[in-house]
Amino acid sequence: MTHSATRRSAGGVHVTQDHLWMRPLFWGVLLCICVAGIPYADALFRWLEPDARQVIYQRAPFYALLSRHLLVVGVAAVVTIAVGVAAGIAVTRKRGRDFLPLVAQLASLGQTFPPVAVLALAVPVLGFGTLPIIMALMLYGLLPIVRNTLAGLQEVDADIKMSARAMGMTPAQILYQVELPLAAPVILAGIRTSVTINIATAALGATVGASNLGDPIIAGIINGNMAYVVQGALIIALLALTLDSLFDSMQTRWRQRLSSS
Amino acid sequence: MSLLDALPAPRLGRGSYPNVVLVSLSAVMLAAIWGLDAVSMAPNRIVQGTGAGVMEALGWPGALLASLLVLALGALAFRPNPTNYSAALGVVVLILALMPFGLMVAGHFLIDPALPQARLGIGAGYWVVLFVLLLCLIELRLRLALTRLWPMLILAGVGLLWWLCAWLWLGDLALVQEYRARDQQLIRAVGQHVVLVSVAVSISVVLGTLLALLMRRYARLQKGAFAILNFLQTIPSLALFGLLLAPLAWLSANVPVLAKLGVSGIGNTPALIALVAYSLLPMVRNTYIALEEVSADTLEAASAMGMRASQRFWQVRLPLALPVLLEGVRITTVQAIGLTAVAALIGAGGLGTFIFQGLGQAAMDMVLLGALPILILALLVDAALGALAEALRPGGVQ
Repeated sequence: MTHSATRRSAGGVHVTQDHLWMRPLFWGVLLCICVAGIPYADALFRWLEPDARQVIYQRAPFYALLSRHLLVVGVAAVVTIAVGVAAGIAVTRKRGRDFLPLVAQLASLGQTFPPVAVLALAVPVLGFGTLPIIMALMLYGLLPIVRNTLAGLQEVDADIKMSARAMGMTPAQILYQVELPLAAPVILAGIRTSVTINIATAALGATVGASNLGDPIIAGIINGNMAYVVQGALIIALLALTLDSLFDSMQTRWRQRLSSS
Repeated sequence: MSLLDALPAPRLGRGSYPNVVLVSLSAVMLAAIWGLDAVSMAPNRIVQGTGAGVMEALGWPGALLASLLVLALGALAFRPNPTNYSAALGVVVLILALMPFGLMVAGHFLIDPALPQARLGIGAGYWVVLFVLLLCLIELRLRLALTRLWPMLILAGVGLLWWLCAWLWLGDLALVQEYRARDQQLIRAVGQHVVLVSVAVSISVVLGTLLALLMRRYARLQKGAFAILNFLQTIPSLALFGLLLAPLAWLSANVPVLAKLGVSGIGNTPALIALVAYSLLPMVRNTYIALEEVSADTLEAASAMGMRASQRFWQVRLPLALPVLLEGVRITTVQAIGLTAVAALIGAGGLGTFIFQGLGQAAMDMVLLGALPILILALLVDAALGALAEALRPGGVQ
């Protein structure tokens, strides 16, 4: 994501404010309809699995699974964003500059660790349940955020920073009022990638006893019941699409603000 | 590693300026040595082990030696110059080489030979030290401006030494006991894993390149193909494996030719299809970007030199695109190594079997036995393909 690419798409997309939030709204409504409607869609899923005793996953209601899924992804995202952005800021300051190469390498190493392996290694230390999957998601989601924070901050024009300093801004003011707002679209893109990947990856948590939208999928694989798998996958995919389009709109909105101001 | 190109050149040889990174890493290691459990021991493979600190595990001479070595590393970092960095590299290698002997000593102190089932586990402190040492290695490689080959050689040597120790003297170690109990199975699983990954990656390299080439020719294809591939990535891997079960089972039941070819609902076929489906997006994206981003000026210069279109492609565009293209292969392969572990859930075999069986039996050593090779495979592929991309970059290794 180079600066010129940012500018090009900002100029090319002429989304008016009213239409900006339509797509996330559309996917969000579809998600809600599915969560609420699947328990009543017996006939539809019966067609998929004519011989199964049950075609609707009933061990837990879908809204509970969805909220637990969101909780896991949310906690991991908050921690990852805090750590990733803080690390990105720290190593681009004068004092932390020595850590820059190591942090860059470390972040890229983080994504080399397969989430399944991290999950498996975290279980002996953290026990079964939700903690290992949060840990795995954090490690896996760190790279895109750190990478984009670094890229975003380094792309800020040196001349702009210089003129901010000439105006008498303190380093903290330059960071909060100049660098971060300018880097925000790129950082946001990193957060978007990280969260979207993690929504799908969180389903793995069901294998270590973290109850979330992966549960119906695992139950479906074990019992050979396709209907369960479809239900879990459908809701996860819709969740991913909702959040992805939400981030997309936020990025567009931010670029509009940058280019209009 | 395009990110690293943008980094400022590491400072080398500033005599009075301490290397904060190495000093902090040494401090972390000291804290881990004294604050966390070095090892754990358990009477059998199911019971959770009890932890033991460094004094219990190594006795005071061992604990002192470990601390002194780490302190030496920190002290060397206070005067960073090439000599001291080389010495620090030596210290890191020495600690890495001594670590299995520490386990031997701990086994001698803590494991009662009268209990044949008793086993020694590796504690959190030990893992942290190992991980931080790898970070030190990365830092030293960057400061000494060594190529990627060096840490790989060093780690290969250290790994060989560890293997030897494990083979000859570390019978108490839980991991070694677990390995001895099912070594044939593990070797077969590694083989299956590697075969699955390489077949899936080969297919997606071919398909991905073809797709990227088609996209360059027919611009209309581009948007639709990327939309589909992006959508595929939002489906959790777990679900994609599950979703392929039924259609393939139906196919193999109703089309005898396919059944004869080995297509079935569970096993390799759904695993391969899902792996290829996931691998296509990073592969196509990188190939497409790599081919597109070759500078127009260079291509024009090639035309001006009288090159034909095919010559331009094979002699200019492709070689220049190769490093980015390889980056795509690297991402794809590393991702496929992790996903193949998930494929064990639908009976595709591979190292995931160990993880999921171990989780089912609450036998953590077995989980470790499956997870560690996956991690090592991923890191190996990452390092090897990274080094290859570095070597193929125009101008070669700097």
